[in-house]
Amino acid sequence: MTNSTEHASPLAGLRILLVEDEMALAMALETLLKTMEARALKAARVEKALTLIEREPLDGALVDINLGGTPGYPVAAELDRRGIPFVFMTGYHQSAIAEPWRDRPVLSKPFDDAQLERVAATTFRC
Amino acid sequence: MAKDADKNAGLSRAGKNSEAERPLVVGIGASAGGLNAFKTFFDHMPADSGMVFVLVQHLAPDHQSMLAELLGAHTRMPIRQAEDGTAVAADHVYTIAPGTTLTIQNGRLCVDEPGQARAERRLIDAFFSSLAADQGEYAVCIVLSGSGSDGTTGLKSVKEYGGFALAQAGLDEGVGSSMPASATATGLVDFCISIADMPAKLAEYARHLSAVAPDKDADGNRRDAAEHLRTISAILYEQLGHDFGQYKQSTLTRRVQRRMQVLQVDTMAAYVGRLRAEPEEQRLLFNDLLIGVTQFFRDPMAWQSLENTVLPSLLEHKPAGEQLRVWVPGCGAGDEVYSMAILITEALEAHRSKREAQIFGTDIDERAVETARTGRYAKPPAGLSEARRARFFTQEDDGAWRPSKKIRGMCVFAPHSVIKDPPFSRLDLISCRNLLIYMDSVLQDQVLRRLHYGLKPGGWLFLGSAEGVSRHDDLFETVEKKHRLFRRRETGAAEIPDFTSPVSREPRRHDHPPERATKPAAGGRIARAALGVMEKHAMPYVVVDADFRIVHFSGGPLTRFLAPAAGEARFDLFAMLKRPLRQVARAVLTEAFSGGEPAKHPNVPFRIEGRPAAANLIAEPFNTSGYGGGDTRLCVLAFQETPAGGDESAEPPADGRDTALEHELKVTKAQLNTAIRELETSNEEMRSANEEYQSVNEELQSTNEELETSKEEMQSVNEELQTVNSELSHKNDELIRTNSDLRNLLESTQIATLFLDRALNVRNFTPAVRDLFHLRDGDTGRPVTEIVSRLDYDDIKRDADKVLRELTMVERELEISDTDRRAYIMRIRPYRTVSDVIDGVVLTFTDITERKRGEAALRASEERLQRALEIETVGVLFSDPQFRLTEVNDAFLKMSGFSRDEALGKTWQQLTPPDFHENSNRAEAELRDHGYITPYEKQYYRKDGSRGWGHFAARMIGEEAVEFVIDITARKQAEAHRELLMHELSHRVKNTLATVQSLMTQSRDGAAGVGDFIARFGARLRALSSTHDLLTENHWRGTDLRDIVDIELMPYMRDDHPQWTLRGESVPIGSKTAVALGLAFHELATNAAKYGALSVAEGRIEVSWAMEPVDGAQRLCLDWTEHGGPSPEQPEREGFGLRLIRDGLAHELDAEITVTFAEQGLRCDMRVPLDADGEGGRL
Repeated sequence: MTNSTEHASPLAGLRILLVEDEMALAMALETLLKTMEARALKAARVEKALTLIEREPLDGALVDINLGGTPGYPVAAELDRRGIPFVFMTGYHQSAIAEPWRDRPVLSKPFDDAQLERVAATTFRC
Repeated sequence: MAKDADKNAGLSRAGKNSEAERPLVVGIGASAGGLNAFKTFFDHMPADSGMVFVLVQHLAPDHQSMLAELLGAHTRMPIRQAEDGTAVAADHVYTIAPGTTLTIQNGRLCVDEPGQARAERRLIDAFFSSLAADQGEYAVCIVLSGSGSDGTTGLKSVKEYGGFALAQAGLDEGVGSSMPASATATGLVDFCISIADMPAKLAEYARHLSAVAPDKDADGNRRDAAEHLRTISAILYEQLGHDFGQYKQSTLTRRVQRRMQVLQVDTMAAYVGRLRAEPEEQRLLFNDLLIGVTQFFRDPMAWQSLENTVLPSLLEHKPAGEQLRVWVPGCGAGDEVYSMAILITEALEAHRSKREAQIFGTDIDERAVETARTGRYAKPPAGLSEARRARFFTQEDDGAWRPSKKIRGMCVFAPHSVIKDPPFSRLDLISCRNLLIYMDSVLQDQVLRRLHYGLKPGGWLFLGSAEGVSRHDDLFETVEKKHRLFRRRETGAAEIPDFTSPVSREPRRHDHPPERATKPAAGGRIARAALGVMEKHAMPYVVVDADFRIVHFSGGPLTRFLAPAAGEARFDLFAMLKRPLRQVARAVLTEAFSGGEPAKHPNVPFRIEGRPAAANLIAEPFNTSGYGGGDTRLCVLAFQETPAGGDESAEPPADGRDTALEHELKVTKAQLNTAIRELETSNEEMRSANEEYQSVNEELQSTNEELETSKEEMQSVNEELQTVNSELSHKNDELIRTNSDLRNLLESTQIATLFLDRALNVRNFTPAVRDLFHLRDGDTGRPVTEIVSRLDYDDIKRDADKVLRELTMVERELEISDTDRRAYIMRIRPYRTVSDVIDGVVLTFTDITERKRGEAALRASEERLQRALEIETVGVLFSDPQFRLTEVNDAFLKMSGFSRDEALGKTWQQLTPPDFHENSNRAEAELRDHGYITPYEKQYYRKDGSRGWGHFAARMIGEEAVEFVIDITARKQAEAHRELLMHELSHRVKNTLATVQSLMTQSRDGAAGVGDFIARFGARLRALSSTHDLLTENHWRGTDLRDIVDIELMPYMRDDHPQWTLRGESVPIGSKTAVALGLAFHELATNAAKYGALSVAEGRIEVSWAMEPVDGAQRLCLDWTEHGGPSPEQPEREGFGLRLIRDGLAHELDAEITVTFAEQGLRCDMRVPLDADGEGGRL
């Protein structure tokens, strides 16, 4: 894990939607984002995520493709509609991603902090 | 005619003097393929012939004619396409433009573009006809190769106007339909020669024309003709028996000249010599003289008038049952006769009359009569309306038209000369059209008298448009001048015309009335004699008609009052009467006619032989009726002599000495008187006998006419009989042929056939029957029941009787009883004669052994196939060439859920989901191209709309396609499931690894050292692992809440005794929620073991749970309560465990979690909403 205090985090000050149903992973990611000086808004379900998108100003999102058996694509669609950049997270192989979304950035589970930071930085900071 | 043509010809000649330079105009007709003929012609034609050539060819209207270019190489003459108004010039060639009609008028070409259909046009006829009329004898027509008959009619015209005609020889021999053949058949073609010879003939003809030109008068007739014509007529009369002596001179001259041109004879004398020597020339001249153009209903207005005026009058006034008799002299090819028959038939129908009609068609020309009799028209008859043609003509197989039986039956044709032969008699109508125009006035006069004789009183005469009866008002009354309809006028008597016409006879005037003026009154001889005697004493008289023409003279001393005037003999009363009587006679007659009463004028003085005399003139009018139509008013003018002023009657006194002589004289006088009286009586008798003979003669004459007619009729009956006979003999031949065909059929057919009569005796049989019955040739006539049969069949009598009774067919399958077991089908049918009478039965035996074997093999094969089709799991589908299902097996129905009725008729498009249509299309194309397809997989629709997977293979069998399908839905599902599992496994493992990674991260925070980190992380991994164990046992389909709690507490068993109690029903928990709960219970248990109830032996944990309904859903309420342990303290910093429970779990499962650090121990309340799968957080 990177020591974020030594140099300014690329994600500092961003509001990131974290859509992940795996409890332990969600907690770990939340911790991680916090260390990167970003604020995480958690949602384990599609409905919750849509509510948050509706309500909160967001700079980016991390979206698990499988949310307790429900695909996370509606969340991706809504984000896309609003022009909010996002990164998919999945344990599946890349080919399992639905056709229209294949060209989006993906973090393949498990990933380490560096991977997250690099992908998030390029996607959210552009 | 030719005269006009000469005057109008717009050729480049200065006048009559340059006649010699006048060019021939040569019309050449050929069909579209006539190019080579044209080439040959011009190859032989010098370019300076001085002639004009006009080429008429059948061309397609849109065809650009290359004729000019193509012929350019064959002649040096300029070639032009005909343009309207071009004056033709010598040594030029003109060609017809495509799609136009070309004619010539006044030496100029006329080009029309007709709207008429091309097939109807007769281009060559049109040009030739105009050429004939325009150029007369300078017209030449040449008919070259081509099919059809175009050119023939035009050629006739050319000949009629004295032109020259050539036809191509040696072409299409034996083909009657070619243009040259059709032209030659008219007999009018001058030379039928090869094309190469034609230019030479033309040159000869031109030379001849110019040689004779100076000899001609202004009308183009030869000046030396007249003197020779009588000789020519005499030759024809002698040799052929036809007298043309009184034909119009100009007509005769023209025809003779034409023959001279053809023969290249320059002088009349030479021609006469030739005519005398050559019978063939006589015949040719004769034919030429008879050229006639006829057509149906020629001059339609005149026919209309005939139809409207004459026929109704004839039909109304005629006594019922009397035959209508019509004579058409000079009938030519019969067109006029058939026209008449059509008209009369229509009129009879209009009057609903059953009256019979007989039309005599006669002509001097036997060929024409033959043509008329045959009544065959190669072309559709000209001049007939479509309706009449359809009604009165029938078209034969070869395309020729024939008059229907009905109208043919009305007509009788015979060769007959209206001049030479006795006329027909008792006629109602004579149609003599365009015959008189050929005759001079003397002959016309003679013919009209004959026609007058032939007509019944009131009969009608119908003449041609150029003819009239103006010189014969006494014979015919004009009814319609315009259409030349005349009616017989009553003269006192019908004259029996003179039937001889010697050629040498001087023309005779017929203006004299006959001696015998009235028919003798009926009555006995005595009465007549008495009348004769009395006549001397009666007043002399004359009978006159309203025009004061004398129609009757009395006997007696009439001559005392008459003094015929000098000059032409006339019957005019006033010309005959003595001059002093004329004035008074006119007055008296006028008074009598106008008053209708007798009138008298006494004592009119006049002189007889110089002596004065006087007479009373008495006139009395009377009517005669009974002759045809109306009454005729006549008037008798009688003369009554009265004593005149002087006393001439006083005789001087006689001398006494001569008494004896006087006495003798008196006696002698008396004797003489007696003798005279006797003589007069016998004279009278003679005269009346003579009159009787005359009338007998007349009757004989008409009997003779009738016999003539009967002969004609007999002849036509004979003709018909001959036809019938030849038909019969033809039929007989056919019958023999049919009979022999039948015999051959019976013998060659392998079907055994047995003919039986009504009594079931053998009548006939085919050779094959011998295989079944022991029949010999001699067995004909024996009952079939007596004949030994090899068949297993005894019911022949019963079956045959049934057939005869019910007239149905009986059919049986039989076998031969002995070794080879052959099978037969026997059919018994009634024997029907041609007239449909049942006269026995026919048995046929068809050998069906092979068929039966074949059938058995087929059945076996079908059964095999059927069993194959009944195979389960393989669907079999048959479809037609459009890939519509025609049959399917049960296996397919089972697979698809359709009933057979629903399935049949469906196409693969209907059964295949759209996303697989491409595969099916490919398969269909392959099937069509190769007859089979490489097996492939696709989805199909079941009846309920769901999709199944099938493995398909197909093959064409003839036109039909058969397809096999194996249902592979289960396999496909298994494959899909396996793939899903693979994905799921990957997902789970990676998620689990992600969880482990996060556990590791979390465990590091707050760890006292590596040992502590390993202990904590290990414990958490174990907790995760045990939950996984639980789930794996249940194949990840979830587990029970109790087991989750149990397995997390189990490691903290103290001396094999649990320090906890679990209370609650069985609650199924989904695998995901189970993992989350497992980690949570692990943290609670670890915490309890370190700081809580499980850290001391007295500590206890109570875990209880229950499901409660909230808002229609289920919620798990779980309480974790510790007691008996050390009192917990609120931690300064929330550790991972507490965060996981309070924050993570609440977040993940959407749960309400309360953690309380109470005095007696830690307490945790969970409220987790669960769905039907036992998963939290979804609601």
